[in-house]
Amino acid sequence: MEKELEHQFVSNLERDQNIVHKICRIYTNDQASHNDLFQEITIQLWKAYPKFRGDSKFSTWMYRVALNTAITLYRKKKRGIQTQDYDSVHFRIKVDEYDDETEQRLSLMYNAVKELNDIDKALVFLYLEDKNYKEISETMGISEVNARVKMNRVKTKLKNILNP
Amino acid sequence: MDELDLLKNDWNKQQGNYPKLTYDQIYKMIWKRSHSIVKWIFYISIIELLVATLLNVVFSGDQYWEDIEKNELSGVVTFLYVISYAITFYFIYRFYMNYKRISTTDDASTLMKNILKTRKTVKYYIGYVLISSGITVVGITTYLIVKHSNKDVEDISNYSYEAIDWLKFIGVSILVLTVFLGLIWLFYRLLYGILLRRLKRNYTELKKLEV
Repeated sequence: MEKELEHQFVSNLERDQNIVHKICRIYTNDQASHNDLFQEITIQLWKAYPKFRGDSKFSTWMYRVALNTAITLYRKKKRGIQTQDYDSVHFRIKVDEYDDETEQRLSLMYNAVKELNDIDKALVFLYLEDKNYKEISETMGISEVNARVKMNRVKTKLKNILNP
Repeated sequence: MDELDLLKNDWNKQQGNYPKLTYDQIYKMIWKRSHSIVKWIFYISIIELLVATLLNVVFSGDQYWEDIEKNELSGVVTFLYVISYAITFYFIYRFYMNYKRISTTDDASTLMKNILKTRKTVKYYIGYVLISSGITVVGITTYLIVKHSNKDVEDISNYSYEAIDWLKFIGVSILVLTVFLGLIWLFYRLLYGILLRRLKRNYTELKKLEV
């Protein structure tokens, strides 16, 4: 029974691991922290797994547990010196089809997201993942209206970071 | 916002660029130990209570109890022990309940509320430790002074003090007490403060929304 559960869980996570990696990219600045957070999320997911009843998709449930871990339970460690270049390298890999200007705009944008607080990062992340306001409100525990208001504020914040 | 759309576009393009862990790597991970904040608060509180109890046992040897018997204080002391252990166990229970209640499957807001409840319990606990140590120190000092003045001293004049001496004595006592309590407070601030600061900031951020 336990073995069966383990197998089910690990297979599910193996399939949907990209979600966790993406969260780690938003919340951490280097590979070591990335791996730490990934591990902590995996442990939290496994601990919560017996409560997962399958009434929602595994991935939907994962968003909630993984984000919660990143926002609340995970203790950030300061590691080494983080330079701007290193951040961007870890954060995204260049895509050839962009021209230099687009590439630069993107890089500025990614760095701007890095400056947001944990809650705002979560909102941006859910937005990037194409979640609608209903899903965002359920994950965050705020009303849909509030989610909308908050998202607009985050957009303003990002604008201010880009054009101080 | 154009920039955000650009970002979203790129975000989706990055899909293939993430690390790919194997089944075995993930399997190994689920048996690793968690380092989450709340778990540490719970563990630290338990360790702390154990250390406090241990110190108590070490310092209160036979001599200690004999002295208490001699002074006919065993009734009062036993009563105080029962009270303080009852309060201590109540806090262990509260810490445990907080730990149990915190569930990652809640939404972010509920989860943070629960963690802040833990924070509040920690604060109450620190308050209790500070107040009870303060009362204990003041109580013992007062008792010793009263006791001392009642002793059959042959030449009482050797032991009588000027008012100014008393003021000095009280002043120094208060200073020592303040430093002592300050150290305890600092210790707890370091211990729990580091764990809870970031959380507080996030919660305030989330709270702004609810207005």
